[in-house]
Amino acid sequence: MRRLTNRSRGEHLAGKGGTSTEFNDYRDYSAGDDMRYVDWNIFSRLNRPYVKLYRHEEEMHVVILVDASASMHFRDKLEKAKRLAACFAIMGLMNLEKVSLFACQHAGQTPQILAPCTGRVSMRRVFHFLENLPPGGDFPVDEAVEAVLKQHRGRGVCIVLSDFLTFGAMDRPMNQLYSAGLEIFGIQLLSDLELNPELTGDLRFVDSENGMTLDVSSVGDLIGFYHEHLAGLQDHLATLCRQRSGRFLCLDSGLSLETMLFDVLKRKGWVQ
Amino acid sequence: MSWPGFSALINAWWFFLLVPLIIFYFLKLRRPRFEIPSLALWRQVISDQRVNSPFQKFKRNLLLLFQILLLCSLITGAMRPYLSSGAQHSQYLPVLIDNSASMSALDGPNGKSRLDEAKDKVLKLIDDLLPDQRLCLISVNTSARKLTDFTDNKRLLRDAVARLEASQVPSRLEDGLRMAQAMSRIQAIDTVVLISDGNVPSDIDFELPYKLNFQKLNPGGSNVGIVEFNARRTRTGWDIFARVEGTGRPDNPMAEQKSSDTPPPKKSSAPGGQPPVANVMCEYELLQGGQQIKQESIHIDGGRAERLVFRISTVAATSLELRIKPDGFDALATDNVAYLELPAPRPLAVYCPRSMDTYRNALENMPDLNLYPGADDEPKIVDLKFAEGPLAVGPEARVNINVGFVPEDLANLVELVSGQTEIIDWRRTSPLLQHVQLLDVQIADDPKLAKGVSDRDFELAGYEILAQSGKGPLILERLSDVRADYQFLFNTDRSSLVYRVGFPILVHNATQIAAQRARLLDAKANPTGTLPSLRITPEIDIQISGPNSFSERAKSDKDGLLSGIGAPYVGSYELSGNGEPMKLGVSLVSSAETCLKTADRLTFPEVPVEAATTALKTDQPLWGWFATSALFFLLVEWWYFQKRPAGVPA
Repeated sequence: MRRLTNRSRGEHLAGKGGTSTEFNDYRDYSAGDDMRYVDWNIFSRLNRPYVKLYRHEEEMHVVILVDASASMHFRDKLEKAKRLAACFAIMGLMNLEKVSLFACQHAGQTPQILAPCTGRVSMRRVFHFLENLPPGGDFPVDEAVEAVLKQHRGRGVCIVLSDFLTFGAMDRPMNQLYSAGLEIFGIQLLSDLELNPELTGDLRFVDSENGMTLDVSSVGDLIGFYHEHLAGLQDHLATLCRQRSGRFLCLDSGLSLETMLFDVLKRKGWVQ
Repeated sequence: MSWPGFSALINAWWFFLLVPLIIFYFLKLRRPRFEIPSLALWRQVISDQRVNSPFQKFKRNLLLLFQILLLCSLITGAMRPYLSSGAQHSQYLPVLIDNSASMSALDGPNGKSRLDEAKDKVLKLIDDLLPDQRLCLISVNTSARKLTDFTDNKRLLRDAVARLEASQVPSRLEDGLRMAQAMSRIQAIDTVVLISDGNVPSDIDFELPYKLNFQKLNPGGSNVGIVEFNARRTRTGWDIFARVEGTGRPDNPMAEQKSSDTPPPKKSSAPGGQPPVANVMCEYELLQGGQQIKQESIHIDGGRAERLVFRISTVAATSLELRIKPDGFDALATDNVAYLELPAPRPLAVYCPRSMDTYRNALENMPDLNLYPGADDEPKIVDLKFAEGPLAVGPEARVNINVGFVPEDLANLVELVSGQTEIIDWRRTSPLLQHVQLLDVQIADDPKLAKGVSDRDFELAGYEILAQSGKGPLILERLSDVRADYQFLFNTDRSSLVYRVGFPILVHNATQIAAQRARLLDAKANPTGTLPSLRITPEIDIQISGPNSFSERAKSDKDGLLSGIGAPYVGSYELSGNGEPMKLGVSLVSSAETCLKTADRLTFPEVPVEAATTALKTDQPLWGWFATSALFFLLVEWWYFQKRPAGVPA
């Protein structure tokens, strides 16, 4: 699969011919081509000049967007998001990609940014950035994407680590990401309370981000509706990602990191 | 269908409490706060659910609904609702409960007694008691006893019912009916309920001043028992007679035929009918002084009575006990034993003054008789005494024949004057005048009634007229438990009676009466109820103990008469305190109770009363249901309110 890459050289093969050592194809010689790339053995047999094409390797920008709002601070979701972000950052850095991290907390404020970095030496900076990332805030993920794109330049992949529980629509931020040349990898982290709420009775729900309340009677009777809506949300997000050459996955924050990486993500082909 | 009524409709004002209840509910509604990451999904769920569930508003306020139901149930209960039976209910309702011996009859092996069934009926009445109704429970056997006053206190009434036990005496309804009549003078009584198995005398000498609702119970099972146990004196001892009888066929064969043609009524729906016919082998044993002297078996066929005859040779007082053991189910156990006290034989003691030659001549030729005054010293008490003057001469006697004078209590009613008269009528069935021909007896005395005196005045004085002349009574009789007085208002020596063959017969009759009263001729088993009157040392305290821990103290009067001692249970009673303890056996010996025959119709002088075929209609109070509902709603509401919503961390 071909990745969206930057023009600068990197580790990822570009669609066009390049100067790498890996042979890609032949083509007819045309005037102006570098004579050094003519395959003389072919010329001696066929008496026609062919130019050897080599693969072009370009750099890929890995953007990791961590939703650090108050809703992610629920039941270690943010902690899992930070660990996953660290894992993805390490994978990028080890593959000599350019990695940048964004953390969105408070609406109206500029996201916290870890400037694009590359190489193993940047791991320390990545860890330091993630460890010092405080929780809290009311930045919805849809607005956070827009704020991130104001800061980011370059093509590559964008890994969005969020619960995607927002009142806003996700269509617009997805389009913006795709238009910016970022392949979308959406990971929805939900706790067991959100995946399988076992609630009954009359409750007053309090939104952890904005403190808004909602009185709900006979919650137990509504669990079915809740599951329908959750499944609908996940289908919608997966469709949005898929339509933009992206992927979507929902993870239970209660799973261990090893299970997430080496079981779920590996089986889904996200990591190799 | 009748609509429910309300006894306390004024309590409906409490429904206004619904207004503050609803207001306070919404003001004070408490929901647990529960923080969730985001309301985004739940808002969608709520808006979607509101569309899908039109009853959401109802479900949301389930707690309020429970509170409203609780309040409504309480107020409706306080309004005292009831389902009217359609019958006009009495405010004061006396309930006569028959607790005679037959009421302890069981309906089968390990079955239910009639009294238990009666108690169930009474408890149903108590349960259905309306707020303005008062019950008075009266137990009826030989006598009546008020168990409670008119009360609506259900606990008191239930306690009285629980304490009620079947007695071991025959039934007689008059006392209970009279007690209810006495109550009707204080309270307005329209109806009296009688709950009985129907084993009561069907002809009742009582004029009903109220309606009688006769609730007849189902009959008991088959029964065999001793209905008679007596003895007749012979020269060498006693001839003993006993009769064992069982529940039998109806007396009226037409009724039996009719009942055989028609299907039997269902037991539960139509109480009535007769108990099953007894057809069993029965083993009996006769004990004398505790020692068995006879044991045999008899067959009671179709309830037909079997007569048992024994002969005992004894010259001393002795006690007999007859026991039967039916081979099969026996509804009544109390009639399976009977006691008989046989006194020691002795000659009859007769006092007759020497001046009454004619009487002495007649007495001297009679056997087994000691005549005083004579050779022996006269005792303090004799069995028979003849007197010819009002002066108290000679010993006391149980039977007195007073000849030729007017006693003090009749002095203002009649006067003896000389004249000529004759007997125009006499009571031929009287024991004294049996086989005595008084026709054409000439009498030289003429008792003359005082002005305005009639036969009724003699009856009021306690006398009964045995023989009458054209102007007034000639022979009078006054009987009591311990004494019999016969008053001849003419001098027999101045009449032709002494020359008639009837005179020695008359004297012989007098001795027979005295011997009968002294129990020298025969003996009968003492029935339950009261012990027979006894003559003992005057003014002495006697301790009476009997079966079922029965204990009582009594004192003899100045004449040494001990009477009126209750004997409610079958068994042997011991009287101590007068020298050697004396034992007296008491038995049921009632054919009516043993045969368990039931009357479907009670006949009063003017109105017959049929046994009711349906249970007494009473209004059905409903407040208990509402109170129970209120408790249920309270519990559900409490559970619902206290229930922590699942999934919410503590």
